[in-house]
Amino acid sequence: MPELDELESRLDALTEADFQQGLEVFRGKLKKAEASYLNSCVHCGLCASSCHYHRMDSTLENIPAHKLELISSVFKRNFTTMGRIAPGLVGAKPFDREMAKAWIDAVFGRCSLCGRCSINCTIGIALPKIFRAARAALGAMGLVPPDLQATVDNSLLHGNNMAVTKQDWVETVQWIEEELQLETGDPGAKLPLDKQGAKFLFTVNPREPKFFPLSLQASAKVFWAAKEDWTLASDGGWDLTNYGLFNCNDEQAGTITKHLVDAMARLGCKTLVIGECGHGYGAARWEGPEWLRKSYPFEVKSILELMDEYVRDGRIQLDPSKNTAPVTLHDPCNLVRHGGICEAQRRVLRKATTNFTEMTPNRVENFCCGGGGGQLAMARYKQRRIQSGGMKAEQIKASGAKVVVAPCHNCIDQLMELNKEYQLNVQIKTVAEMVAEALIPNP
Amino acid sequence: MSPVVCNGQSVELSEEGFLVDPSLWNEELAVLLAKAEEGLDQLTDDHWSVIRFIRGHFVANNNAPMVRSICKTTGVPLKRIYELFPSGPAKGACKLAGLPKPDGCV
Amino acid sequence: MEPLHLGVLLAGAWAILTLVFLHLNAKAYGKRTLYSKPAGDSVQGVVYAFTKGMAPWAKESVRMNLPSYAAGMVFHAGVFTAFGLLFAAIFGLELPPSLVFLARILTVGGVLGGFSLFGKRIFKPQLRGLSCPDDFVANLLSSLFVLLALTWTFSPALAGVWMSEAILLLVYAPLGKIRHCFFFFTTRYHLGAFFGRRGTFPPRA
Repeated sequence: MPELDELESRLDALTEADFQQGLEVFRGKLKKAEASYLNSCVHCGLCASSCHYHRMDSTLENIPAHKLELISSVFKRNFTTMGRIAPGLVGAKPFDREMAKAWIDAVFGRCSLCGRCSINCTIGIALPKIFRAARAALGAMGLVPPDLQATVDNSLLHGNNMAVTKQDWVETVQWIEEELQLETGDPGAKLPLDKQGAKFLFTVNPREPKFFPLSLQASAKVFWAAKEDWTLASDGGWDLTNYGLFNCNDEQAGTITKHLVDAMARLGCKTLVIGECGHGYGAARWEGPEWLRKSYPFEVKSILELMDEYVRDGRIQLDPSKNTAPVTLHDPCNLVRHGGICEAQRRVLRKATTNFTEMTPNRVENFCCGGGGGQLAMARYKQRRIQSGGMKAEQIKASGAKVVVAPCHNCIDQLMELNKEYQLNVQIKTVAEMVAEALIPNP
Repeated sequence: MSPVVCNGQSVELSEEGFLVDPSLWNEELAVLLAKAEEGLDQLTDDHWSVIRFIRGHFVANNNAPMVRSICKTTGVPLKRIYELFPSGPAKGACKLAGLPKPDGCV
Repeated sequence: MEPLHLGVLLAGAWAILTLVFLHLNAKAYGKRTLYSKPAGDSVQGVVYAFTKGMAPWAKESVRMNLPSYAAGMVFHAGVFTAFGLLFAAIFGLELPPSLVFLARILTVGGVLGGFSLFGKRIFKPQLRGLSCPDDFVANLLSSLFVLLALTWTFSPALAGVWMSEAILLLVYAPLGKIRHCFFFFTTRYHLGAFFGRRGTFPPRA
């Protein structure tokens, strides 16, 4: 495969300066929390079962502590006294070609940064923080898998991660507006573009206009029913994704975040609303201000929170009998465990469906679908992605659900593949699609 | 991923089941991919009009068309696209049309 | 003061001072200034991390590995008890028989826990693969320390061996993974603060 060669040849071409550069970037990502984490692991191994990779393929390489050890062994060798004096005793190792290769395999190839191991760590190590530092170091050495980097480059070059042109985007929005008008029978149903001073700037995943616009139509229908004052940006600032969260290049991530910040300033909106997307929410809500090193002059909300408010305040009326098939809910890691949005989607679903069952485990203990952390973009790890997703497939089967609701487009794509691979025979939908289905038109 | 054999020639597929070399595409290959990747025994006229449009767009523009263009040009309604290609326009239709895997959350 | 007693105290001082040094070292990495608006309370997150978040039922990793968890718990209880006994031995405190009895139970548990975890580390291939020499040294020094503490309660004549071993343990403690006796607390604090701020800790519903 040509791509594999690209990474391999890059590995072969690494110079001493590259390793130094990687170490420097790695060191720069560590603050006292990370320094504490790197001093704490006792190799108890109890994290093994918390990882979906290890659950579905119980090799040593899939134990979170082993992935961590690869990184801390380099940390010890380069940044600690004991690692320099007695490397053999404390397991300190040099950062060389073999180690760089092992890092790539561990942090890109066997981790979706879902953080389930953090919650389950005996000590309390937030492992993904260290894995992110390692990804950043690899990035500085030119060792990000090319297809993941290509997705970031798309955003940097085209303002969205699928290189959708402005014309294509605008035409699609207009098309969906026509479809929405047909669906609601209301010629006043709109998908406003560039509405100055709108309360909400709504953002979407480029996958929606490109290939799956029904979820955009569903979101728009909810806004229509709630008589919301909202808008989309016609150019720059409509894409909520940020794969800088996954290549862990903070500078590139910050540049992509700036698309949203600039659109907010340009359109004078009060709140940035993130569509149903886990990593997009994490990137815009939590990491964006850190990348840009300043607080936003506006609020960030997930559309899930808005729908929750609409239901609570009676701004939309739902008829749950429109959704009677057994429904279960997937908890995207970046939205729930790392994002703190846990109950809004549940409250909404309970009002929009008659037969809602939780997966086990759920909420903070949820399993990653297997597609997170940029896995979906890295073709070389497809087998592992599908295999590790087996955990989610088992959960879905056990729930007996016929509809799996996932408030994340990335998860949805992975779930669609799991559906096929594991013959789950389920439908996969966004929360907005469920709500749109159950909407009782306003009088 | 194991290669498909088409007219006695072995054609390499990526991990994701996309053609490693998109230029090797032909209609026989689409039929084989449909069976192997999408579990489709038969490609209907609707399938073909979608596949041929996507292929033509790719050859002219070197990217995948918007689903809007697919619907508008072929006249196949949106919901029907998802029925025709269970894996969706990207991992279903674009794959059968011999495109490389699109970037992004697909 | 007896030379061995002094030795233990000096080794203890070394351990504490080295841990302080390591802590200052870690602290020197600096604090991360955060610009995103908190959704929850980091203090509440820290409180949760050190209370309910440590309950055995709060973590799936514990629920699924109860024997290992139990072994770890009694091992740690044994180590703490042995340090209590060491303190009593050095300062010549007379322990009531009931307390000695309790200490024996706890140290027996500690020995069983410690050595069973040592065995697990040797015989389970994945855990062995995860280990470096430090893991074995740290366990052995600690388990032996508990074992010798137990034997001392029966035969005070063994004090010399026990205290010599204690010196080794204390000298080694901050050099390898036993430093988690300190870093456990800072790590858990950071975990709690992170998830607290994000509104994930304490979990609702």
